[in-house]
Amino acid sequence: MAYSVSIMSTHTLSKYSFLNSARGWLIPVGLLLVWEVMSRQSAENAYAFASIEQIYHGLVEILSTGELQQGIAASLQRAFLGLLIGGFLGFSIGAVMAQWRVADVLIGPLYHMLRQVPLMGLVPLFSLWLGNGDPSKLVVVCLSAFYPLVLATYESLHQVESKYKEVGDVLKLSRTKTFIKILLPAALPNIFTGISFALAFAWLATIGSEILFSAGAGLGNIMMNAQAASRMDILIILTALIGLLGFLMNYLINKVGQYLFRWRNLR
Amino acid sequence: MSIGIRVALGINQADPKFRRRSRLRLAAFISPIAFLLLWAWVAKIELFSPQLLVSPLEVLQTFHELLDSGELWEHLSVSFSRLGIGFSIGASSGLLFGIVMALSKRVEGFFSPVFQALRQVPSIALIPIFILLFGIDEIFKIAIVTKAAFFTVALASYEATKGISRNYFEVSQAYKLPTYTLYTKIVIPAILPPVLTGLRIAFSRSWTILVAAELLAADSGLGHMMQMGREVFRIDIVMVGVVLTGLIGFGIDRLFKWGEANLIPWRTA
Repeated sequence: MAYSVSIMSTHTLSKYSFLNSARGWLIPVGLLLVWEVMSRQSAENAYAFASIEQIYHGLVEILSTGELQQGIAASLQRAFLGLLIGGFLGFSIGAVMAQWRVADVLIGPLYHMLRQVPLMGLVPLFSLWLGNGDPSKLVVVCLSAFYPLVLATYESLHQVESKYKEVGDVLKLSRTKTFIKILLPAALPNIFTGISFALAFAWLATIGSEILFSAGAGLGNIMMNAQAASRMDILIILTALIGLLGFLMNYLINKVGQYLFRWRNLR
Repeated sequence: MSIGIRVALGINQADPKFRRRSRLRLAAFISPIAFLLLWAWVAKIELFSPQLLVSPLEVLQTFHELLDSGELWEHLSVSFSRLGIGFSIGASSGLLFGIVMALSKRVEGFFSPVFQALRQVPSIALIPIFILLFGIDEIFKIAIVTKAAFFTVALASYEATKGISRNYFEVSQAYKLPTYTLYTKIVIPAILPPVLTGLRIAFSRSWTILVAAELLAADSGLGHMMQMGREVFRIDIVMVGVVLTGLIGFGIDRLFKWGEANLIPWRTA
């Protein structure tokens, strides 16, 4: 049975053909209208339901102060730095585990033990160890990319068909050569799937850590400040933006994957 | 299972035969034990100040103290009830919504765009808005858990139902099955395996988001206990919390896994 329970479906865009159908617009537009009407009911409601006008003014406000641009830059930077560091470490450890059984037996159980703690549950610990600033957030983001990539690398290397490995044996390639010339290229498409997951997790962890650790710049911090000031308009802008950025990153990395692995003949 | 699902669940399936060998099963304890010993040793020579690192034994001791004073049970029961209520509301409504959306073209036409758009927003990014809308009371925590469970389960059951082979429906038409039988005998058995996987993912997300929500705004619960520990620099309490969140998440994940393996006799793979 063909199904996939992915974080972000890989074929999401094809589902967006609703842009052509009137039906799909009915509920979003209806919701917006209800929202707008609610916001105009009373002063108290205007506070919880920001009107479209308010949201527009809020957007102009955070754009003109440069707060939004700064926040986007800080969050994206954190996500990518975490993906780079955590992902590289994850790939290395996954590869070592797949290559040496001793490493597999020794590292595997420890990895699975430590992985059980939800990342957000580690926040109080890191805040005591590293403070509330950028180092703590970076460690959380690194871990979020590290865990999935260890697993993806390990699994992908193990799934390489044995006939490919036999080619290496026939050619009497050294272990390193077999790894670089045969195993890695064969496993790369699957590892890349792992990277796209790691990116999604890193983005989640970025926003989560910025919300939970109070100090520093980033979209999550802007949100917490807006929440403290009861600025629903700004919260709506940022929440939508975070969703949109996550979606775009997922879309881009899938496109990159399709381009990079166009040599792979898919049935 | 695709690499994606396995990464999302953290399932490591490679080379099962190798893992089953008993001698290696014992070897699996080497690194966790070494880790604990190293931790105890570093704590003992006080490489870091005792305010930053306490030994595993002290963590165990604090665990006993919290257990004896009844404080821990209080936090745990509050967390579990939030998780239970939120997860059951979210998962059951998500299940229903996913199936209906997959089977009815009309419902799909109306709801799928909104669903696909809202799905892109991570639960954790909704915490600030939910706090403004619902305050910091119980409703906020239950709502955020419900949201996390709903979207994950709805997506899983939607895609699972979409994936049911056309032949099954043709057979049901040929036999003129009533709608009720169509659901109980065909749709539900067909989607159960992927939906259980979806429930597993949904559960671990709900647990994570609940801990995060309790860290931010709560007067009780496991997350709150850790937050208090952090504020008064009681690293031992924080560590008890960290270990417990891990153990609870792991334990319930195992329950779902057991369910997957034992409740679905017709499961392939």
